Amino acid sequence: MSEEVKIVEKKEIPPGTTMLFGFPDVGLVGVIAASHLIEELKDFEEVAFMDSKLLPPIIVLHEGLPHSPIRIFGNSEVLLAVSETAISADIIYPVMNALIEWGKSKNVKMMISLSGIPTQDRQDVQELKVFAAASNPDILKMVQEKGIEILKEGYMVGPQALMLQRCATMGLPAVALLAQCFLNYPDPEAAAEVLKGLANVTGIKVDVSKLLEKGEEIRLRARDVMRRTQQEMTKMKKTQEYDIPLYVS
Amino acid sequence: MSSRRRRSIFDLIDEYFDEWEEWFERFGERLVERPSWNQKTCAVEPLRDIMVTPTEVIVTVDLPYTEESTVQVKALDEDTLEISAKMKRKIRLEELGITHYKGEFQTFHCQTRIPVPIQIDKMAVRFKKGILEVRIPRKHEYTIPME
Repeated sequence: MSEEVKIVEKKEIPPGTTMLFGFPDVGLVGVIAASHLIEELKDFEEVAFMDSKLLPPIIVLHEGLPHSPIRIFGNSEVLLAVSETAISADIIYPVMNALIEWGKSKNVKMMISLSGIPTQDRQDVQELKVFAAASNPDILKMVQEKGIEILKEGYMVGPQALMLQRCATMGLPAVALLAQCFLNYPDPEAAAEVLKGLANVTGIKVDVSKLLEKGEEIRLRARDVMRRTQQEMTKMKKTQEYDIPLYVS
Repeated sequence: MSSRRRRSIFDLIDEYFDEWEEWFERFGERLVERPSWNQKTCAVEPLRDIMVTPTEVIVTVDLPYTEESTVQVKALDEDTLEISAKMKRKIRLEELGITHYKGEFQTFHCQTRIPVPIQIDKMAVRFKKGILEVRIPRKHEYTIPME
């Protein structure tokens, strides 16, 4: 693990878990989905947190006690890395690198990033699609066999892009699940869809009805995190995901 | 004979600062960070986005928890929109997890300046899934002087 970024463990981490990532990105799909998983999964508690001088001088207060903005929750089967604040484009690389190396050291069986893919006519889309990309052909085939559409060509920008690339290099099975969503507005419906996709791929299943019922409240609460995430997405040129790719091969 | 007085360097500097001040007043809200809610006016600033296409400008505003009938879009001048909407009920800060400030909100409010010339009297508005969409045709009245 990098000297600059440390993962401090609070509990014993069991081997063979599935490690999920819910980071601020388009539509805050990953963060909203992660927050719902934390509420719904049984025996899910904070098992580790990130400590780094690269992170901004922020703590998150819960019941008057300080917490790192980037924490890992877990139970015997699932680990979930989640950030409660927008991550600066400048530090995404060391942050993701540290989490992936830590996950590898804990012998996780698969890494899955929960996120979104912006669609311009989102207001008019009735049924949101979930797309996937994977770190190797076998995982891609497995995901495809589960009925998830593959994101065949294009650009991916952000934490999930680094996760896929790093896992591909390290030979770790990894999937990026991306639900169609709003680019700049919190999208609880897309979060519900990505969680359905997760259930389909891994069997990690939660009831998403509360997420949909509380949709408007979530959008209201998520406003400030979305605003700061928009600023970071601009810096990392997130709209490149709309670009038409030019292939050399 | 022209009555125009030749401007001194000091006039130019004054003009520069006047222009800068005007620019800052218009766009300063983007540069200076401030809370997205106002305790005195009980208003929350909504998330918004502007897209400029070759033919029109599309402004969208995220207005969760609002009644469509309360959404108001006003043209303040030829390039500024004021948008407001009333929430379905009062939201206390405490409900959003903020206990160290007292207050409640019931409105969304924002002003948005459109970056290109538009035909503001021809704007079309729709509200769907809690998102306001305002479409305004662009004004193409440019003439390039030929010498």
